[in-house]
Amino acid sequence: MHRSHLATTRRRELFPVLCVATSAVLVLFMGTTILAIAANGIAHLGLALSSEEVMFSLRMSVMTSSLSTALCMALALPCAWAMTRGGLPCRRALETLVELTLSLPYIVLGFALLVIFSSPFGVALRDHGVSVVFQPAGIVLAQMAVNVPFALRMSRTALYGVDRRMEFVARTLGAGSWDVFRTITLPLCRNQLVSALVLTWARGMGEFGATLMLVGVTRMRTETLPGSIFLSISTGDTDTAMATAMIMLLVSAAALTAANVLGGHPVSRAEGAREV
Amino acid sequence: MGIGIEIRGLVVRRGQFVLRVPRLSISPGESFAVLGRTGSGKTVLMESIAGACEVSEGSIELDGTNVRELDPRDRRIGLLYQDCLLFPHLSVVDNVAYGPQRMGAGTHEARWHAQELLELLGVGHLADAHPNLLSGGEAQRVALARALATRPGMLVLDEPFSALDPTTRGDIRDAVRRVVRDFGCTLLFVTHDFSEAQEMSERVGIVLDGRLRTVVDSTLLLRTTHEDDVARFLGIQP
Repeated sequence: MHRSHLATTRRRELFPVLCVATSAVLVLFMGTTILAIAANGIAHLGLALSSEEVMFSLRMSVMTSSLSTALCMALALPCAWAMTRGGLPCRRALETLVELTLSLPYIVLGFALLVIFSSPFGVALRDHGVSVVFQPAGIVLAQMAVNVPFALRMSRTALYGVDRRMEFVARTLGAGSWDVFRTITLPLCRNQLVSALVLTWARGMGEFGATLMLVGVTRMRTETLPGSIFLSISTGDTDTAMATAMIMLLVSAAALTAANVLGGHPVSRAEGAREV
Repeated sequence: MGIGIEIRGLVVRRGQFVLRVPRLSISPGESFAVLGRTGSGKTVLMESIAGACEVSEGSIELDGTNVRELDPRDRRIGLLYQDCLLFPHLSVVDNVAYGPQRMGAGTHEARWHAQELLELLGVGHLADAHPNLLSGGEAQRVALARALATRPGMLVLDEPFSALDPTTRGDIRDAVRRVVRDFGCTLLFVTHDFSEAQEMSERVGIVLDGRLRTVVDSTLLLRTTHEDDVARFLGIQP
């Protein structure tokens, strides 16, 4: 049995339709959330931007997030290399251990840090000038505790994506381990690492639970943007809270745009030319 | 000057697969083909010599030095994989200049020599091109230039011609023969193509089911009496 003529209409498939419909639901859900912030925040944005306290919290968030992100990546990259190329024994167990806290509530992480730095060890550190409890340095530490496992996981994924044979070819051409890492591995996973860096920074900006437990929220001292929103809501100042949330939304949008722009594939233009 | 290879009692374990090579000698400057089916262990042998695979038992010596004492960058091996593996973030000339720069040459000097090599292989006009824009044959020539840039004592090729059309294949084979002769290096290449093995090499080693079964003069490959399974692989009457 065969068709006597070619079908004149395209087959309709359910899967693409379901995916598009799901996307519409997702966009609606997230869009409503963003709209709620923007609708209430835009009207009072000027007020927030002229507030000394809000500007302080913005500077505190940007500084602590930037520092904690740099430290996170400085720790995560060598660790990711060791886990993917270092031939570590019990590699899987180590990966599980380091990333265990990814599923913990951040307030629990903060509480664990509070216990550590309130112990005799923490007291000894304080006596030697290293103080984190209720101090701005504690914000950096709290953000690191939350973000290092995330940065590590993203870094590992990035390094797994690099063809090991390409690294081996580089070795046969005379490159040592550091040279291979610097000239081959890093450039080949640059996009993923840039994304990891930007997203870690964005997460640092939004971190609150661990910070609250370890450092608290003291106005004009340990006040980050999320802390500022918390204080505003606590005192019934919802206008300022929404306006500050609007600032965070704008910062988040800038971070994601940067991730998309900086994380563009370096050969995409060449591939496009080839397709022509 | 070419490198000689001496293999004794080699066992290489890679997951569930085991490669065994009881004995193999390759003279300096010789062209040697490793012939076998897909999955027989040819590439594992090649990678063991180059240093990408660890030796489980036995020894591999390059010019009398055990490879366990040699980092891959000290083995003087030029490596060419079937899919070329050009560095996609570097231009063609920078790909070829990579090795000399790692060995201490300045950028200008390394690029100058790289350009010379590219001209020798007929792709000098592609120096500033991006690897992703090259055809298969062009990429193979560039990869060959990169492998030769460090003046290796041995050229190790992993099925370098299988993905090319017949005309390009012939051109690349000629280029390989020419540079091996001019540079005086040992040639070790992996293939599943009988005619290629005969044409390009002086001797052929046949690897089947993870074991080096026989080594024979390439001109006598189809005229020598072999064990039954080797004969079946070669398509001759056992």
